[in-house]
Parts: sequence; C-alpha cells; structure tokens
Amino acid sequence: MDRRTFLKASLAASSSLLAAPALVRNAWAADAVSLYGVKSMSGAFASYGKFANMGSELAIKQYGNLLGAPVRYTTIDTEGNAGKAVRKVQEAIQQDNARLFQGCTLSSSALAVGKEVAKVNGVFMTPAGADELTGVECNRSTFRWSAATYGAINQTVRPLIELLPKAKRWYTITPQYVFGDALLSNAQAIFDEKGIEHVGNSYHSLQEQEFSGYLTNAMAAQPDVLLILNFGGQSTSTLRQAVNFGLHKQMTILVAWSAGLDQFQTLGSDVIEGVYLGAQYWHQVDTPMNKELVKAVKDAYGITPNYPLAADYIMTKVMLDAVKTSGGVSEKTISALEGLTYEGPTGTETIRKGDHQVLKSYYLLKGKAASAMKDADDLAEIISSGRSFPSEDAVGCKMG
Amino acid sequence: MSTTPTSSIWRGTTLLAVAAVVLMPVILPSPTLATEILIFALAALASNLLLGYTGLLSFGQGVFFGAGSYCSALVMIHWHFGLFPALLVGILAGALTAFVIGALAIRRTGIYFVMLTLSFSQMAYFVAYTMSSVTGGDNGLLNVPRPPVSVLGFELLSLASPLVFYGFVALLFLAVFVAARRVIHSPFGSTLVAIRENENRASAVGYDTRQFKVLAFVLSGAITGLAGALYALLLNFVPLSNIELATSEHILIMTIIGGTGSLLGSLLGAGSIVLLGDVLSALWPRWPMLLGLALIAVVMFLRGGLWGGLLDLKNRLIRSPEPPQPDTRQKDAAQ
Repeated sequence: MDRRTFLKASLAASSSLLAAPALVRNAWAADAVSLYGVKSMSGAFASYGKFANMGSELAIKQYGNLLGAPVRYTTIDTEGNAGKAVRKVQEAIQQDNARLFQGCTLSSSALAVGKEVAKVNGVFMTPAGADELTGVECNRSTFRWSAATYGAINQTVRPLIELLPKAKRWYTITPQYVFGDALLSNAQAIFDEKGIEHVGNSYHSLQEQEFSGYLTNAMAAQPDVLLILNFGGQSTSTLRQAVNFGLHKQMTILVAWSAGLDQFQTLGSDVIEGVYLGAQYWHQVDTPMNKELVKAVKDAYGITPNYPLAADYIMTKVMLDAVKTSGGVSEKTISALEGLTYEGPTGTETIRKGDHQVLKSYYLLKGKAASAMKDADDLAEIISSGRSFPSEDAVGCKMG
Repeated sequence: MSTTPTSSIWRGTTLLAVAAVVLMPVILPSPTLATEILIFALAALASNLLLGYTGLLSFGQGVFFGAGSYCSALVMIHWHFGLFPALLVGILAGALTAFVIGALAIRRTGIYFVMLTLSFSQMAYFVAYTMSSVTGGDNGLLNVPRPPVSVLGFELLSLASPLVFYGFVALLFLAVFVAARRVIHSPFGSTLVAIRENENRASAVGYDTRQFKVLAFVLSGAITGLAGALYALLLNFVPLSNIELATSEHILIMTIIGGTGSLLGSLLGAGSIVLLGDVLSALWPRWPMLLGLALIAVVMFLRGGLWGGLLDLKNRLIRSPEPPQPDTRQKDAAQ
C-alpha cells in the first residue's frame, strides 16, 4: 500500500468512526417514537412538575413497545418560565425533529408552546387552566385535558347552592387576571340565575401572599359563603389564613379550583375539615381505570396518585394510543385524537373535535375531620361530580 | 481626558467577541440557545454600562427589556411594522423608559437610588399585568411575527431559520459591542468612569454629573430595549416575566458574574447563567441555590468576575512583568 492509498483509507475509516454515533442516533430516531414531557422540574412549580413527570414516565414504562420499539421519553425543564419553555421546545423541534409534546403547568407556557408545536403540525396535550387554549387561541395541534373554568364553577357553585339553600350571600376573593376573571364571571352568572346576592369581591395580584386584608373585608360583609377563586400557593395561603381567622366557623368556605391531594396534604385535615373543594381529579373516584391507576402508582412509587400525576399519565397514554392508531407521528395522529373516546381516571372521557377539549368530570369534595380519615390520604370525600362545558359555538375556537 | 485610538476598538476584546460569536453556534447544542445567550449578553452589556462604568446599580433593566419586548411586538402585531422599524421602536421604548426612570432615580444616591429603580420595576410589572387587553397579562403576548429583512418592500432575507436569525442577532451584538467600546473609550466614557470613582470630584471639575448619568441610563435603556425586542422575535411571544423584577435580577447577576467593567465579561456572564440553567436544572430542581452560591463566591473572591479571573489566570501563567492592579474595574475600564 502506497502512502497516498494509506492516507485515503485512514481518512475514510476515521470519517466513518466519527459518523458512527450520528448513524446510530438516526437509526434509533427512525425506529422509536419520541415524546417530550414539558414539565416545571425546577423553579417555583417544581413540586408540581415532579409528580407530572412521574405520571408520564409511568405511562411510558407501562406502554412498553410502540410500533416495534420502546418509546423514547425526554423531559424538557421549563424552569417555571414561559420563555425558557418556548426556547427549549423550539430547540427540540429544530434539533431532534420533535413532534409529540405533553405538559406545561403554566397557562402562559402552554399557550406559547401550543403555537410552536402547531407550526410543525405536531401534537401537544396540556393540563393548563387557560380557557383560551380551547377558545380564541385554539389550534389544530393543541389539546386540553383539564375541565374549563366554566365547568369548575358549574360543578362546585351550583351543587353547593342546592346543598345550602339558605346560603344567599356570597363573597368572592379573585386573582386579578384572565383566569381569575373567567372564574368570577362564571360564578356571577350563576348568582344572577339563582338569585344569590354577591355581597362583595376582593381582587388581588398574582404576587400576593398576605390575604388578611381581603379576609377582613369578607368578614365585614357577613356572607354565608366565601368563594375562593385563586389557586396553588395562593389558595393554600388564603385558606390557611381564613381558618386562622376563624372564618370557617362563621361561614361556609369553597375553594373552586384546588390542586387536589398534594395541596390537602400540605394544609392538613385541621385546615380543610368542613371546607368545600373543587378538584379535577380525586384518587377515590370509583372508575375501573382509576382503580388500576391507583394500584399502579402505589406499586411503582409507593404513593397515592395526585392530580398532576394522574393528568399527565392519562394524557401521555392517550397520545401514545393515538400514535399507535395512526401508525406513527403525523397529521393522522391529530385526527386520531379528535373525537376519541377512552377510559380515563374520571370515567369515559371524550376529546371534543371542535375545540380539542377533553370532556371529563369535575368534583366537589369536602374536607374530612382527622377522626373520619381511613388513611393518611383520605382527606376528603366526594360530594358531587359532573360535566359542564360551554358549547363549541360559545368558546370562540376557530381551528386554522 | 485620555481616549483610545479608534483603530484599537477593533482589536483586543473585539476580536475575542467575534471569535466567541462565530464559535457559539458550532459548540453549543443549538443556534437557538446561542441566540438567547447573545440577547442576554446585550442586556448584560447595557447593565454593565451603568453598573460597571458609571457605578449605578439599577433594578430597572427588566423594565427596559420588557418595554422593548412589548412595544416592538405590539407594532408588529397591530400595525404590521417591518423588522427594522419594530427594532427601532424597541430601542426607543427602552430609551424613553430609561430616561424617565433615570431622570427621577438619579436625584437620589446610594440605597435610595436603588430603591427607586426597584419601585419603578414593580410599578412597570403591575402596569403590564393589569393592562391585559394590551399585553396579554399573565398569559403573555402571543402571535408575535418574525418579519424578514427587507428594504423598500423587497424581502432580502428570511429569518425563519434559527441559524440565520442567530447570524442576524450576532451582527447586531457585534455592532453594539463595538459601539459600546467606542463610547467607553470616548471622553464621555471616561467621564462616566470618573463619576463612578468620585462623583464629587467629577462635579467639582465642572461636569454636570446628573446629565451624564441620565445619558448613561438612556444608552443602557436603548440597548436593553433592543435586547427585549430581539427576545420577542426569538420566542414569537412576550411572556409577562420579561418585565418582572426577576429579569432585572438575572441581568444584574449576569453582569456581576461575568465581570463589572468588562464588556466581554457580559457575554461570559450571560453564557454562564443561561448554560448553567440548562445543565443544572436537569440535575437538581433547586439549582438557583447554586446560582446564589456562585454570586457569593464571585463577590467574595473574584471581584472582577469570571473575566477578571481569566485575566488574572492569564497574567499568572505568562508571569506578566506588570505589577498587580489593586482594582480590577479600573484595569478593565482601560481596555
């Protein structure tokens, strides 16, 4: 072998060695379905993101092979920041040709991520609360599992009015932004319909942590029911401070949009006892699929499933089912999801084709006394449940 | 006052900045990440003009960033402004808010000045938050377009590709970098350093220090506004967090960790913080604690920031005959 031939051969060999990882990666990418979990793994919403990610991972693990290969799951940490979420999703789309996304706790992240995914005709399923997701900002790629604000109010305020017919004076505490205003306007519509006197409302900002002033105003108005319309850490603080002030002895308290088990564990039965709580999911829901889920989560993690875990579990599972039906990730996956009916944790759930809203139950719970609890997670009982969704014409969704 | 010849502006750290800008999309996982780093490097550079060269610790940087984002996005969405007019609006919005905040805040010094910028920052956040019909409130401002580079209606270059958009941002970054160096090495820049070192003395020799400080604010606001406008173009979206106090804090941390009084340090600081977030957040949910530790370490042991540390290291390795400088900021300001 002469020097020139040797150099050529060496160059060819080294090039193929350098290219080997890329070839292996491409081969893997070609075979495996990739799903990206967009979760708040760090930052202010890390505790939520942790459970949401556990739900997705469990669904992936249970699924096993999909179209002949294990599903490749990648977590994208939003750092609790919508800007970071969008940039990282853009990266996944550009670098990895990603098309399947699930998650986003924050409405702002979900709205913006939905737009990015729609640009490449991908699929995105989220539990976020903003009604715009399936309303004026809807698009072909975005699907939402959580019940809308309309359903949350109709399945909590309405049954409580029927339960307490003498409670005619209601006071509201509302976070002043789109989500809070949506809850408030839905509640006011029911007040008008049922002849309820809305004796006052206190608006607060999203950064508020001290609610004693608003609670004092509520006490002064002497309502029969205090309706708390904020959520997450703010509803935890409001409720804790309300109980410290003794409001639970003077009036009935309803938290319309609670975070479920995780929040109740934080508050403890001494705070939530006798308080009415609206929830997207409760582990004691008596459906076949939920029983399986509770068992699977206990076996896998040794805990009881909470809302983020159950929500992200079922969304991940449903998306993978749609990929299976459509034979791969494509436009057909969107069509497979539209109108799909499946067994979910809240019973038989349906994805409405017109706005991509999942039609599912919402629950009115009541906090139990410590003496009535059968186990550490038996913090509340189901009072009522049901489905309330505005009609497709009313949500303002125009699919592009 | 001594100034540096214009030709030297194009050498030294400018060449290093060019090298970094060329290498970043090659060595980083994606051009989008590299673009975010350059955008925040612009914001940190602008903050450096105030903190590093004028000695003003401003928490108003997030306001200028947010104003640039919102105003440029709004004129693109509602009035279909092209790329350069929209960027100009972002620059003007940043400059105008900086003029208002600067003109009022510099009437006080020390902690009172800092508290005033902090108050303005909170006010701006609540204005954006409550004007949800304009800004989108907590949901953010969606559907921000990314117009192409066009002249007189003729499209010259689409910025849809992440790499092309990176190239566009990189050119703007380098232009601002060179302009900022030119400003720093001008009599105006030397006066800012003089104000930082001893405002009473600068005033005694005849300089209207208030006017200089307001001008520094306006310059910083204009560059930060440009960064905000570019961030809106990158994300096609303006999150409310752009105008939060946390954004001001982030920009300040980038400035301090990179090195106050060093423009290249701003790039180093922005790169470190953005990359640190990407890497550490995957490993530990409470990674911002490490950011706090890094800031403490820099303040305690690395007064010149990462850039100062690198310079010290270089000097030790090549055993520089020059005696060690007592104040890194002075040394860097003379670069």
